[in-house]
Amino acid sequence: MLVGGCDIGSTTGKAVVLNEKSIVSQYIVSSTTRPEETARQAMDAALELAGIASIDDLAYVVGTGYGRTKVPFANENISEITCHGRGAHWLDPEVRTVVDIGGQDCKVVSIDSRGKTVEFVMNDRCAAGTGRFFEAMARVLDCGLEGISSLENQGPNPCTITNQCSVFAESEVVTLINEGTELPDLIAGINLSVANRLFSMVKRVGLVEKLALTGGCSKNQGLAKALEKKLGVEVTTLPEDPQVAGALGAALIAKERAAA
Amino acid sequence: MDSKLTSTAYEECVAATASIVNPAVEQWCEGGGRVVGYFCSHVPTEVISAAGLMPFRMRGTGSDGTELSDAFFSSINCSFPRHTFNLALQGGYDFLDGLVCISSCDHVRRVYDNWKRNLQTPFLTIMSLPRKVEDAQVGWYHEEISILREALGKHFDVDISDEKLWDAIKLHNRTRRLQREIYQLRKGRTPVSGAETLAIMVAATAMPRSRYNTLLEEILVELRQREPRNGYRARLMVVGGELDDPSWIETIEEQGGLVVADSICFGSREMWADIDESLEDPVEAMAKYYIQDHPSCPRMYGDQPRRREYLMNMVREFDVDGVIGERLMFCDQWCVEHYMNKADFKEEGIPFLQLDREYISSGKGQLRTRIQAFLETMGK
Repeated sequence: MLVGGCDIGSTTGKAVVLNEKSIVSQYIVSSTTRPEETARQAMDAALELAGIASIDDLAYVVGTGYGRTKVPFANENISEITCHGRGAHWLDPEVRTVVDIGGQDCKVVSIDSRGKTVEFVMNDRCAAGTGRFFEAMARVLDCGLEGISSLENQGPNPCTITNQCSVFAESEVVTLINEGTELPDLIAGINLSVANRLFSMVKRVGLVEKLALTGGCSKNQGLAKALEKKLGVEVTTLPEDPQVAGALGAALIAKERAAA
Repeated sequence: MDSKLTSTAYEECVAATASIVNPAVEQWCEGGGRVVGYFCSHVPTEVISAAGLMPFRMRGTGSDGTELSDAFFSSINCSFPRHTFNLALQGGYDFLDGLVCISSCDHVRRVYDNWKRNLQTPFLTIMSLPRKVEDAQVGWYHEEISILREALGKHFDVDISDEKLWDAIKLHNRTRRLQREIYQLRKGRTPVSGAETLAIMVAATAMPRSRYNTLLEEILVELRQREPRNGYRARLMVVGGELDDPSWIETIEEQGGLVVADSICFGSREMWADIDESLEDPVEAMAKYYIQDHPSCPRMYGDQPRRREYLMNMVREFDVDGVIGERLMFCDQWCVEHYMNKADFKEEGIPFLQLDREYISSGKGQLRTRIQAFLETMGK
């Protein structure tokens, strides 16, 4: 039996195809202005990779993410909060705290031993601590997202960025550049400022190990390092691309529904 | 699919809630009636009614921006006074013959200062609301209500006798009793949605009171014959402050969370208690009600244990599955309160979700995600 999960986020669309035991294929595309189109592109690519002829071969599909109600071939939609919890739990059953950092929001999800969401917090309507923030900073520093992520670029004396607002934080960084702050200290400071924000969100739901990062920004190694330092716990490395954790969770729920 | 309330009485309430100068206000003004605006549930509206004036609770409903009022507020002032004052600067409150401001919170109380400098409403005053709920503060508020009574009487040239005050108290208590009857129907198999209830509740503050009481009676007849709501995933309670927008509740209910109870300014806190009609002095009765008997709001010092008890009773009485704590961004009254609520509900094993919002609803997608996830978390 084959099932699918499709996570339509603000920046990327993700599709995962599952069989009884494992991931058959997964694919990430950039979001278009039409969620239906993004969903089709991601799923078509995942199906092609798996050598599956048609979406009709999937017994059940769950949509998730901001565009979850617009996934044309989904049987049901589930919030991305529930899906990230489920996906992370499947990738590592010992995970109890999931920090999902996407393109335009971040959330901390506390899950139980079965991967069920116990509690969650989400950032409020602001790009601080999300992919948008990192994109803006990468543009100002002209270093690319890889530049912000790379562990080699994390300076020893992170500068302090206090503004919670991305736009104002950008001005703050521009000032620091003009004052001659070294690029690595700026990069470390940017990651630290997001880690600080995530720290308070984690504290709000209560930190229980293991902690895993999911979503596109989980690939930011500098951020992971800053968060580890701030929280004093290790960030668990997941065995699959953590960016697809939401789509994976959706597919896992689809499998449950198909079996019911 | 649940049916919609169709009575003209309900439609009249919806119309009153959906705009500022609603048909009931227009009719009242055309007949020579005068209107006095007020902020906050702690203003003794009975005094305004006793003077033969119509009390109108200030809102920013329908506001499409804050560009005029932004010049008078800082970036950490909440969006409620911003939108409301913006409407006033656009002339939206020119129909007022008077305005009673109050030191309910620092954001709202500064509306008074800005109003005084920029608008020409004939009667303008501000009440000083105590922060504590002990007997000494009842004395203080007795004095404040007496000052209001005298000033209103003098400006509008009416003698606000004790008899008139008692009549107004009885009229407003009747509203409270009828509203409580609606809430009673929400226990168990509730025939009314939370969005409908809020529309009905807000209307009380935007039309002549005797007219409103008649509408409530008609609505109660309709509700008693109505099929209970079905097809919902969970029974929710909303706790918070200045929420007057039924569409916000509607978004929650569209996700499957039926709002069956509340503790909000325009909701149960308006009417869970009556003004004591057995006392000698009507001003004393009002002072006691507004300081001590009125369900407590977080602006009152040292009263959180009583608020907690109020919420826990409400959860039990209305068989609530989960609680949503709402707060206007930058609201200082509700910021700490919801963290305490969260801990208290956790202790009782009741799921709690805190939501910050803007006065004029925006970001419905984010609201939907949170509500859906909250219901999923509850296993609903």
